[in-house]
Amino acid sequence: MAEGETTLLELKRIRLVLFIMLGLLLLLGAILFDLQISRQPEFEASLHKQSVRRIRLPAPRGRIFDRNQLCLADNQPCYCLAFNLEDLRQPGRWKNTVAEVQRKVGELKGLMGRKAIISEEDIWTHIRRRLPLPLVAWRSLDPAALARISESSVDMTGVEIYVEPNRVYPKGGLAAHVLGYVGKTDFSKDEIADFQYYLPEMDGKMGLERQFNQTLVGLPGEQLMRIDASGLKRAERMDKEAKLGANVILALDARIQALAEGVIKDVPGAVVVLDPNNGDVLALASSPTFNPNQLMPFFPKALWDQLNDDPGKPMLNKAVAEVYAPGSIFKPVTALAALNSETIAVGMTVNCPGYFMIGNKAMKCWNPNGHGLVDLRRGIEQSCNTYFITIGLKCGNEAISDLAKLFGLGEKTGIELDREAAGIVPTPEWKQKYRHDDWRNGDTCNFAIGQGALAVTPLQMAVVAATLASGGDVMRPRLVLSLQDAAGDTLTNYPATRVRRLPLAHETMQAVRQGMHDVIMAPTGTGGRARIPGIEMAGKTGTAEYGEKEDRKKHGWMILFAPYEKPRYAVAMVVDDAVSGGFTVGPRLHELMMGIFNLPAASQKKEEG
Amino acid sequence: MREFLQQFRLLRRMNWIMLLMIIGLIVFGVCFIYSATSMREDSTVDLYAKQIKWALAGIVCYFGITLFDYRRLRDVSWLFYAVALVLLVAVLFFGTRIYGAKRWLMFMGVGVQPSEIGKLAVIALSACLLSPAAEKFDRLPAMWRLFLLAGIPMALVMKEPDLGSALVYLPVVVAMLFVAGARVKPLVIMGVSGAAGVLLLLAAVALPEQMGMTPEHQDKFFHTIRLSEYQRDRIEVFLQPGKDPMGTGWNKRQSEIAVGSGGLTGKGYLGGTQNILGFLPRTVAPTDFIFSVITEELGFIGALGILALYGGLVICGLYVARVAPDKMGRVLCVGIVMMVFTHAFVNMAMTIGVLPVVGIPLPLVSYGGTFMVITLFALGLMQSVYVRRPGL
Repeated sequence: MAEGETTLLELKRIRLVLFIMLGLLLLLGAILFDLQISRQPEFEASLHKQSVRRIRLPAPRGRIFDRNQLCLADNQPCYCLAFNLEDLRQPGRWKNTVAEVQRKVGELKGLMGRKAIISEEDIWTHIRRRLPLPLVAWRSLDPAALARISESSVDMTGVEIYVEPNRVYPKGGLAAHVLGYVGKTDFSKDEIADFQYYLPEMDGKMGLERQFNQTLVGLPGEQLMRIDASGLKRAERMDKEAKLGANVILALDARIQALAEGVIKDVPGAVVVLDPNNGDVLALASSPTFNPNQLMPFFPKALWDQLNDDPGKPMLNKAVAEVYAPGSIFKPVTALAALNSETIAVGMTVNCPGYFMIGNKAMKCWNPNGHGLVDLRRGIEQSCNTYFITIGLKCGNEAISDLAKLFGLGEKTGIELDREAAGIVPTPEWKQKYRHDDWRNGDTCNFAIGQGALAVTPLQMAVVAATLASGGDVMRPRLVLSLQDAAGDTLTNYPATRVRRLPLAHETMQAVRQGMHDVIMAPTGTGGRARIPGIEMAGKTGTAEYGEKEDRKKHGWMILFAPYEKPRYAVAMVVDDAVSGGFTVGPRLHELMMGIFNLPAASQKKEEG
Repeated sequence: MREFLQQFRLLRRMNWIMLLMIIGLIVFGVCFIYSATSMREDSTVDLYAKQIKWALAGIVCYFGITLFDYRRLRDVSWLFYAVALVLLVAVLFFGTRIYGAKRWLMFMGVGVQPSEIGKLAVIALSACLLSPAAEKFDRLPAMWRLFLLAGIPMALVMKEPDLGSALVYLPVVVAMLFVAGARVKPLVIMGVSGAAGVLLLLAAVALPEQMGMTPEHQDKFFHTIRLSEYQRDRIEVFLQPGKDPMGTGWNKRQSEIAVGSGGLTGKGYLGGTQNILGFLPRTVAPTDFIFSVITEELGFIGALGILALYGGLVICGLYVARVAPDKMGRVLCVGIVMMVFTHAFVNMAMTIGVLPVVGIPLPLVSYGGTFMVITLFALGLMQSVYVRRPGL
């Protein structure tokens, strides 16, 4: 009986034990439910955070072509030798892996023939910051090095050839100031906020590369990378393909650009060639220049210092960013202003004794013997200061400055380049404001012959030449014709833009054009040295003093358009430290125009179209 | 021949459901040991294959023990206990040191954990001592004697140190005493004081720092109360999970992420990223943290599957205890069920971060040879009880 009772007690207690156990298992089930169902997103997020990395991938940069589809800025694979730390990972502390990488660097040094670009510190930094990415040890491998690698017997575990896109300028320094150059992007915080890693990207730092950066750069891609507990890459997936940057098609003609650079390469200065019919910038050169390829992929510090310390300012695009006194090439504007104001007639003559008395001060004409009696046509041809001072004083400074502004002087042309200067068209208000002085007759005299405070860029003077060539249409300089996608389909067309038509009578314009014609074509014309056989041209020379008076330094200027009757080219050129415009610039323009008119006919057609 | 027939008849009386559930757990284990190690490039031996070998050895053992009459344990339990004690002492001197603890004895290239043998020895001896119906187990001295007998191996295991395994002795002995008919009050007192002891231990680890003791004083204090740094670390991790994410707290945190991110249906077999990417350390994924690999890959449904298998095993085990022919069988079964249950419960609870990481394997599932064989040996004893149940 007692046995039975005991058993009953035992059975009851067994049942109790069972319930406790099942209860505890149910409790586990409830906790699991909480973890896996209720709080799943939270843990999923933790998992994601610790094992997924987002990488920003640069898009291939758009290319830049000239008007004949010649590539001026291209991308080229830059072969790098990189280490894949996942394969080189050594057991134990990271120190061992760093040592292994260094050993590998030493082993490959002979093969590469030069020192690696990474130090021990760089390896550590890479491990701490960018572990899943390849660690680049040698950049810009040449084919010989690549061949040595493929033939070598060195163990290549963990070594990979890694391709970085590199910007190249196939024509070297051609149009360097127009194209500019690229450099490593300095990302803003927002740009990289969503990314754990990013690869070096390129941003335009100057010229079109900079102005059209948004177009050229495309849209970066995004890659997701799964990393393991030690931070090494396990898997990768493209989340967003990079979108190629658009190509930029220029109005520039590489051949004319080359000619232009050829005639100015030995002197500091600038040349601009425009098509007066549509404002197309056919060439825009500045001297001295630089080779943007030497700045790739990274701007060497020594070169940077050298370029910046050079007194010739090779990094400055003198065609748009530098201002000069135009000197005598401004005289056609003075003439037009005077004729237009009806204070003089075409046939009016002025006697030039070699100087002009203003008050009790004599202003010299460049010819100390005097030009005798000169009318408008001869005044322009001979660039007679006395004549222009006389008519300048007759029409007054306001008429001249008003017309100069209509020509676009004193304001930016709006060309698609950076750091464009506006120049200065002086007025009494301007003088009051900046020089705190009244406008005097002397100022008008200086203004009339393109001296004094008047400041212009070579591009502005090219626009003036183009306007004179077209008979009064002020065209906005057009450097970029269109944007195209990688397949060659046009995305955006930039139409030619006429800023304004000058309110001048046809006869007035013709009178001045005739004078400019004689400058080149008349036997005694100051610009005779620019003459080329078979083509009627018109132009104007100029010589403007600059710097300290004692230095007697002069800018030599010339503007020119050709052919005279149906002009296709309008040119402005300035040379620092010249003897005179006609003497220094004339022969150079002769060479340039010879070159241009000798270009194959087929492409000339294209230029017209 | 007749003897063989008799043996065969005995085997036919086996509890097949229990066997099926055991095999189910083993299959789970082998599959996920494979999953947990499939990403290891460095492993020269396939752990899952080794586990299959151990499981087969264990199953053979299982059938053998089924045929062995558990009542004959009376003759050998003291010897068994003595051997276990010798092994437990031996391991302190000749044990192989792994991760700062001496838990393994090497016999001809095979590692054996004496602490596992010790558990079974204590269960067997307790069952024998508790079985005579006449014995008054409500008397305190008998209880104390049993606690003393269990306490010696427990202390030796703690010395290894293996805190987790040592703590398993407590619920096993308490459950056996309880079912054997011991008075509840002293048991409750035992239980409560045991729990209080654990709490005190936890407090002892946490308080000195909380009270602002200098590190030197803390070291002195811990030396006085004989708590090793390793034990302290593990308890500290439990108390302050965020303290040291890359240190000891790492496993717990990563295991929680693995389990939690599994969701309802998991990431699919061989798809557990926590394991693949090594966030769940590769050394513990196939052993102590196999449950987190399972739940990450099979999700809540898989977790319920495991819980159901253990639940079923517990029900079967206690059913066997119910139908056992005598008190010894009954108490023996309760002890074995409790041992398996405690391991399973503590392991799963630590995997999901509700108990400290004490390094207790998941029975039949975690990778580990000795423990597999010992567990199957113990479960075989239950079958031995079952096949000798009264009736037919």
